[in-house]
Amino acid sequence: MDVQEAVAEGTASAENGEVKRDGRKQFAMGPGDILEGKLIYDGSIHADGKVEGEVRVSGNIDVASGASVRALLEGSNVTLKGQVEGAVTARDKLTLAKNARLSGDIVVRRLQIDDGATLNGHVRMGDFESHTSGQ
Amino acid sequence: MSPTRPVSNGTNGQGNSVVLGPRDRLVGELYIEGDLQVSGTVDGTLEATGNIEIAGAGKVSGTVTAYNRLVVGSDASLIGGEVRVARLTVEDGATFTGKVSMGKHAVESPKPIEPEPTSPRLEVVPVVEPAIEPTPSVKPVQPIKSVQPIKSAKPSPQPVPQKGKRR
Repeated sequence: MDVQEAVAEGTASAENGEVKRDGRKQFAMGPGDILEGKLIYDGSIHADGKVEGEVRVSGNIDVASGASVRALLEGSNVTLKGQVEGAVTARDKLTLAKNARLSGDIVVRRLQIDDGATLNGHVRMGDFESHTSGQ
Repeated sequence: MSPTRPVSNGTNGQGNSVVLGPRDRLVGELYIEGDLQVSGTVDGTLEATGNIEIAGAGKVSGTVTAYNRLVVGSDASLIGGEVRVARLTVEDGATFTGKVSMGKHAVESPKPIEPEPTSPRLEVVPVVEPAIEPTPSVKPVQPIKSVQPIKSAKPSPQPVPQKGKRR
């Protein structure tokens, strides 16, 4: 297992950056991958394996079911299926799937918690300044 | 009682089931041995040994404890309180804020904790106030406005040397 020290600000990591169909980048990790440090990324991330530190993305964050995350997470739509320890900010929606375990304070616009998920922390719900999408 | 009891939409065999309809309103505390469904407005503390469901356009502000399961429906809201539940479902669209404690440890006590009649702390408050002498202003003999000279005649109350951190 190789440790990936990632401090990528706005630029795509060469080996992990994939352009999705909709033109947005996706940073995809596998179950054996490790990310330590701070990642600021213009795109979405699929987090798997082990993540420690801070992850801020313009797109979505998706934490896989086997993943172990100890990090501050910030993204538009955040979907957790694995274990997360740390504060989570979802500019749009946070979803805790049925096997998710989250310890940490969360700030969200919308929240969905499926039966079976575990949450320990403060929940704050509010509007964010981005009113760009006039829905 | 079997460990996996069938959960119907009424009582689950654990006791009674209480329903607060959309026009019902509760201010205060409610403890239920059984299930509770709220479609109305609650301002206070809810505790149920079974499930609590905030359904419809139900609005709850306060502390919610469910020994089993709490469901917050998509049009419902739960605001500002402390939530202690074993299982939690929040549907998309629900308004939900507060402090959440989940898991068996969060709702371990199978019986309600009886409120202590008097907190023992109240008796042991080490007040370091300067002894208040009976003020001479008690006797309303003279309706003279200036009570000041009497006060100034007294030795000014020495500030008690506290070991406080404030400066």
